[in-house]
Amino acid sequence: MTQFLSLLLNGISLGAIYALIALGFVIIFKASEVVSFTHGSLLLLGAYSIARLSEPLGFFFGAIVGIAITALAALIIERLIINRLRGAPVISLAIVTIGVDIILLTELIRRIGSDILNVPHPWGGGSVRIGDIGISQNRLIATIVAGVLIALFFVAFKYSSWGVSMRASAEDGETAALMGIRLGRVSALAWVVAGALAGVAALFLVGSPTPGVSPTVYTVALRAFPAAILGGLDSTGGALVGGLLIGVSESLASGYQDQLLFLGRGFGDVVPYIVMIAVLLVRPSGLFGTKELTRV
Amino acid sequence: MDGMSASAAGAEIRSDIPSVDVENVSVRFGAIKALSEVSFTVEPGTIHAIIGPNGAGKSTMFNVLSGVYKAAEGQVRFGDSRLDQMRPYQIAGIGVARAFQNIALSGGQTVAENLMLGRHHLTKAGFIAAGLRLPRATREGKIHGERVAEIAEFLELGDKLHTPVGVLSYGDQKRVEVARALCTEPRLLLLDEPVAGMNAEETDRMAEAILEIRSALGISVVLVEHDMGMVMSLADRVTVLDFGRRIADGTPAEVQVHPEVIRAYLGSGDEINPAEAAEAAATGHHSSETPGTHS
Amino acid sequence: MSEATATPRGSTRIGAPAGGRSAAPRRSFLRPLILVVLLVVLLALPIYVEEFWLRTGFAVFGAIVGAIGLNLLVGTTGQLSLAHAFFLACGAVTYVFVSGDSGGIGLADLSGLGLPPLVGMIAGVLVAGLAGLLFSPIAARLRGIYLGVASLGLVFIGQHVLNSWTSVTGGFNGRSAPEFSLFGFTFGNRDPELFVVGVPFREAERLWYLGLVLAFLAYLFARNLLRSRPGRALQTLRDSEVAASVMGVNVQRYKARVFLVSSMYAGLSGVMYALSIGSIAPESFGLELSILFLAMIVLGGLGSVGGAAAGAVFVSALPLVFQRYADVVPFVGGAGEGGLAPGEAARYFFGLAIILVVMFEPAGLAGFAGRFRRKGRDPGGGRPTSSSSAATDSSTTSVPSDRPAQGSTS
Repeated sequence: MTQFLSLLLNGISLGAIYALIALGFVIIFKASEVVSFTHGSLLLLGAYSIARLSEPLGFFFGAIVGIAITALAALIIERLIINRLRGAPVISLAIVTIGVDIILLTELIRRIGSDILNVPHPWGGGSVRIGDIGISQNRLIATIVAGVLIALFFVAFKYSSWGVSMRASAEDGETAALMGIRLGRVSALAWVVAGALAGVAALFLVGSPTPGVSPTVYTVALRAFPAAILGGLDSTGGALVGGLLIGVSESLASGYQDQLLFLGRGFGDVVPYIVMIAVLLVRPSGLFGTKELTRV
Repeated sequence: MDGMSASAAGAEIRSDIPSVDVENVSVRFGAIKALSEVSFTVEPGTIHAIIGPNGAGKSTMFNVLSGVYKAAEGQVRFGDSRLDQMRPYQIAGIGVARAFQNIALSGGQTVAENLMLGRHHLTKAGFIAAGLRLPRATREGKIHGERVAEIAEFLELGDKLHTPVGVLSYGDQKRVEVARALCTEPRLLLLDEPVAGMNAEETDRMAEAILEIRSALGISVVLVEHDMGMVMSLADRVTVLDFGRRIADGTPAEVQVHPEVIRAYLGSGDEINPAEAAEAAATGHHSSETPGTHS
Repeated sequence: MSEATATPRGSTRIGAPAGGRSAAPRRSFLRPLILVVLLVVLLALPIYVEEFWLRTGFAVFGAIVGAIGLNLLVGTTGQLSLAHAFFLACGAVTYVFVSGDSGGIGLADLSGLGLPPLVGMIAGVLVAGLAGLLFSPIAARLRGIYLGVASLGLVFIGQHVLNSWTSVTGGFNGRSAPEFSLFGFTFGNRDPELFVVGVPFREAERLWYLGLVLAFLAYLFARNLLRSRPGRALQTLRDSEVAASVMGVNVQRYKARVFLVSSMYAGLSGVMYALSIGSIAPESFGLELSILFLAMIVLGGLGSVGGAAAGAVFVSALPLVFQRYADVVPFVGGAGEGGLAPGEAARYFFGLAIILVVMFEPAGLAGFAGRFRRKGRDPGGGRPTSSSSAATDSSTTSVPSDRPAQGSTS
């Protein structure tokens, strides 16, 4: 039971990080109808920048600048490429982000090489005990920060003029434009927010129990994609639920891997994808995604 | 073209064409009711128009008839078939064809290729037969190609068969839409604003084509149209929708003096000019400048 | 068929007789001619070209098969898939398992059926198809973009299986692929010894011809497919699922079928990959391979069979060219010389090329060729909404226009 609770808590904390990534993924889709395959390498960029900058700037400034760099990179991608392709088919937009991903990832892997860069989190690798349950301090802080950010996001999404414009343009872009909403600005802001969220996720993803920044972080970031899809690509709430679901199931599968050995070592890493496929079999638009009006 | 009397003119009524019975159909999108308990009947071999101001639910009705939207309540029967329980491709398979308002052709393909799609449910070649070019697939393609050429000729597209649809004029594209629907050899033809955006001359030609389709093939035609003159001159019967409800149903002459109809059109800024429409109905001519063409 | 050809009952023929005109496409003589010349050149090449290029050629033929298959799915039908590497792996693993022998290498205990390689090849195609079929309930119901992310899952699940199922796949270290043979004629260096106009035809030469034949057949099948009933249905489905369905196309069934066909192409490509490398290893079938295939079809031209082939040649050859001419190409250097490694340089190039192609020439290499051909023929030069276009917002609106949100505002 203790083991279960411990895995559950760790799963939730991992899920909170996934939810940050998935949330960015979803708001980009809502604002610019782009499925951003760049998100994995954006996150790696965040992790790399934070690791490199926290030495000269100190951890806090390094982290802030690193997150800003990630957000800026997202903005540049939006302005330079996505914005010019407004109205292009969804699949072309997705393909273009794969092109960006190839470049960014190649460059980052070349820079990181075979090293594992360390991020000097002030809370270090220590862990906290809550009753019998243990969790790393890094993950605990991540859960709190993610919770606050996600709550802030939902408030902003509901009440700020940006949130309102974004929901309007996701609902019906043409009408929103007619009503004076500047789609370009909505989309740019969505990319900035998504980039920043990825940066924050990166900050915690490379802390304990993960050893540091290496190209594997990219693979970990990709597991947030199923979170976004199974929640429903156009549902912010779905991203949160999806993230938690993926985080918990991954944590449980890894924790009980001795019992699951017949499924192969490292089964936990593929559990997010299996959960996603299972959900999509039952609900093709994800748990909370908008169902298609039309049937074909 | 003798619009009003054409229902019986020329064509004997085909025995294999049943009526379309729409009974109490409602469609909801979330909280919004796009259609509320709409009923009407399309008699075999008639031209039946559905009109109404923008947002009245005309296209929603078409989407229900062709199976794209599911009705929340009510039934749509076409002979023994329940259209409201079938998927669009099954509905196409029993001879219901639709031409889209916002042209839904494949721009990169030629006119011939787009029209051949209309033969889809009449042909059989599958992946293997087609990929290996088995003789039966080739023969099938050839035979149906001839029929497609015939229909293209009828809609004045004969010399454009091998032109990519994307480079055709708007009017030509509209005709390809109608031709593609005809290529399915329909028993019921659904035309969604077939003359929207056309000039007066093109509109006249399309109206003639529609009358000829009906008289030559003896099929039923359901028409959504904004061009009042055209509706009044072509249709045997008119159903008027407003805010998702049926507000009138009758012959063109009955409908255009119906107080609710006049109110609906005045209220929405569109306007039926009863005098002009009546004249159009009587003479069979119409003017594309009729108010109500544009919204 | 009779009901279709008869004029409608109880009616006159619609319109005038067509006067012998038919909707069958006109054929130009230029295209077949180019194809024949190309074939002759390719057939003669082994006599003149060194082994390295022939081996590369076989790998490229394998890539062509895979690219054509992916293009049917992504380019023609508009269903994004990143799972191609997974289906290649299915084909490759099945081949080495079915045609390989049981035995142990190091610690690994390998099992194999030891059946003739032709059986292994066919089994590879079928198993990949079966895997595609198993996934098709998802492939058929998801809109293209959901499929893109969902298919990502298959790659990672595939990696996991490859690494874990050691007795079949050889696990982490992989396993060697048996030499191909056809009714006793081996595609190796001997057995029988073979000379053509004085040139020894050894493994590389023999495989070259095998690859050429397979790639050519794959090309013909896809091209025929696109020009006929199923091909038209798939292209319409890409442009508008609603329109396709209303015209009588069973959209879900067609999506499932094309996914099946595409995965079978991948299976064959996987078998050829195993033959070309001589072994298989899990890391070869990662996400990167899927993305390379995507690069091939995007650069070649989405929806064009010839374009996919051209893209496959280009993407496979570029790293080799960089490698060969590292000292000439700017920025590219050998390992340790401070420049980019050829593989890296090629990846930058692909990434950039994908972006530029989508932004400026959505029809890819095929579009360039098409524009070149049309020059002079029609001075108007209007590029029609290009045939290839997952990237053209062609003339369609898939969602019927009467959504309440719109209806109430206009």
